[in-house]
Amino acid sequence: MENILEVNDLHVSFKTHRGEVKAVRGVNLTLKKGEALAIVGESGSGKSVTTKAIMGLLPKPAGRVKSGEVLFNERDLTKLSDKQMQKLRGSEISMIFQDPMTSLNPTMTIGKQIMEGIRRHQNLSKADAKKRAIELLELVGIPNPEERVKQYPHQFSGGMRQRVVIAIALACNPKVLIADEPTTALDVTIQAQILDLMKDLQKKTNTSIVLITHDLGVVANMAQRVAVMYGGKVIETGTVDEIFYEPKHPYTWGLLSSMPRVDSKNSELLAIPGTPPDLSNPPKGCPFAARCPHAMKVCTEFMPDYSDVSDTHKTACWLQDERSPKVEPPETIQVGGDR
Amino acid sequence: MARYIAKRIVYMIITFLVVITFTFLTMKLMPGTPFKNQNRISPEQLAQLKHYYGLDQPVPIQYLHYIGNALHGDLGGSFQFGMRPVTTILAEKAPVSFDLGFEAVIIGAIFGILLGVIAGLRRGTILDYGTMFISVLGISIPSFVLAVFMQYFFGVKWQLLPLAYWKGPEYHIMPVIALAVGVVANVARFMRTEMVEVVNQDYITTARAKGISSFNVIFKHSVRNALIPVITILGPLTAAIVTGSLVIENIFAIPGIGSQFVDSIVTNDYPMIMGTTELYSALLIIMIFIVDILYGVIDPRIRLAGGE
Ligand SMILES: Nc1ncnc2c1ncn2[C@@H]1O[C@H](COP(=O)(O)OP(=O)(O)OP(=O)(O)O)[C@@H](O)[C@H]1O
Ligand SMILES: [Mg+2]
Repeated sequence: MENILEVNDLHVSFKTHRGEVKAVRGVNLTLKKGEALAIVGESGSGKSVTTKAIMGLLPKPAGRVKSGEVLFNERDLTKLSDKQMQKLRGSEISMIFQDPMTSLNPTMTIGKQIMEGIRRHQNLSKADAKKRAIELLELVGIPNPEERVKQYPHQFSGGMRQRVVIAIALACNPKVLIADEPTTALDVTIQAQILDLMKDLQKKTNTSIVLITHDLGVVANMAQRVAVMYGGKVIETGTVDEIFYEPKHPYTWGLLSSMPRVDSKNSELLAIPGTPPDLSNPPKGCPFAARCPHAMKVCTEFMPDYSDVSDTHKTACWLQDERSPKVEPPETIQVGGDR
Repeated sequence: MARYIAKRIVYMIITFLVVITFTFLTMKLMPGTPFKNQNRISPEQLAQLKHYYGLDQPVPIQYLHYIGNALHGDLGGSFQFGMRPVTTILAEKAPVSFDLGFEAVIIGAIFGILLGVIAGLRRGTILDYGTMFISVLGISIPSFVLAVFMQYFFGVKWQLLPLAYWKGPEYHIMPVIALAVGVVANVARFMRTEMVEVVNQDYITTARAKGISSFNVIFKHSVRNALIPVITILGPLTAAIVTGSLVIENIFAIPGIGSQFVDSIVTNDYPMIMGTTELYSALLIIMIFIVDILYGVIDPRIRLAGGE
């Protein structure tokens, strides 16, 4: 399968009054057609910044892509002008945001907010655009769409608003959909509904999805592949099975152990001790070295290269080097046998 | 919505009555009488005069009498102008003041909003600092200083504009600018703060993510939302400008109501004071009402909440 989206060695920095914050430091990602890629990682690891850079939505003028490329259908998006990027946004690549309570304009009707993108990207009359908006509301499971298009966001519940946000994102049949924690702000039953909806729509439209989440259950449910980010870098990437059952990076181990498990006898949550690195002054070596129980001298000095565990599984960790001691993952995540 | 408006109108009437009552009472507490040559007339003459004008009756009776007449549209006669009806005097002079005031507010609001939008969008740049510097100047320089300054340069030195009076469009330029500068400054500062706030909102990112043009993101999404709080200051600001224009009216010899009002207070011209206060408070009350309605038009959350 060919890659619809490819991020190569992306660096993004923010200028702040305390100096340059290197939020993303050499990220590589690939997204295949029709696939769902999950990005996981601690708060502040650069997940949102990476996707905003892909969308060309970095806050200006503070945020800037310093180097690297974002290839969408072989076109480098970082080289496009604002106008060219506008053409792509909402039509080829769309985004769903975390908080449906704040991501809709409170003074504009739902219908207008959906139609805006349609009218911009497709040559539809006002009446046809409205018809399409009603269709979309129906598609995302909002009852009474003819009435609902005339209403304002405050007349919708959180879950309904997130459905509207999804309708806006899907309005022009995008090839790539980026969802930044689309269910974090919703309560559990609604979360499941929204995820089912996204899955269902993905099947129907064959859209490729980049999904940011903190919930490994969501990853297992939605994604085929996972990228684990830490300190502005992707430190491990692989298929869902590979990451869940044969994780290689000590940070991934920590992440998996910190997840509540229903089947575990040992219900204790294992938090990773320590704090993430200061990105205005990032460490020379592996960003996780300071918190890593297996850190060696080399880890604090040099960033390891990616090593291939399999064709689809890569990790950047010195433990993969043949000169390193053999370290077994902690017992809390040794589930390799019972998959 | 209709119920909401009806309720508001009842409140407006109550507010208005309270204002009239208080003005009437405080006026009665003011020292002196309306009679200029008070010191030279005998107590008997004074008593006679007071009796003639109904000022010898107990205050509550005078009050009821006044309200009774006012309900018939009779605000009494002005003591200063040989009992010429107050309503006639107001009808003659108020339009001039309102003209001046509203022109200043409308022009001031338009420029203030524009400057605020630009400064907010270009936060932290020279454009922003420049706009805010001008705005601080505008707030701190009193309008009469600006008025005199303009009179000197445009009226006397270069003779581009008429120095005074109120006879045609060119006569409006200097007094309107003098009053509008404060409005521009206030509105611009407010608008800038709101814009800075709004452009960081999630729904602006959503709008940008749709790929719509920057122009639409700014005007359809940002400005509209930033305007909501700004509109609230426009009501009181308008009232302040319309009622506060007396100095400017004096400087430019504009035959408005402002300078008239000062004279009425100095001479204890009770009917004239009452009439002018009523006009001003009616204006303020109506402006606040209009702003609330406008608020509902722009912000759908208010519109519906009010209807319930
Ligand atoms: N506008 C900004 N100005 C300065 N620094 C920023 C800005 N936006 C993000 N950052 C920094 O970039 C880093 C990565 O932030 P990002 O939002 O991508 O984290 P994240 O992985 O999405 O975290 P979360 O899970 O909490 O959403 C953080 O250290 C953050 O402080
Ligand atoms: Mg984030």
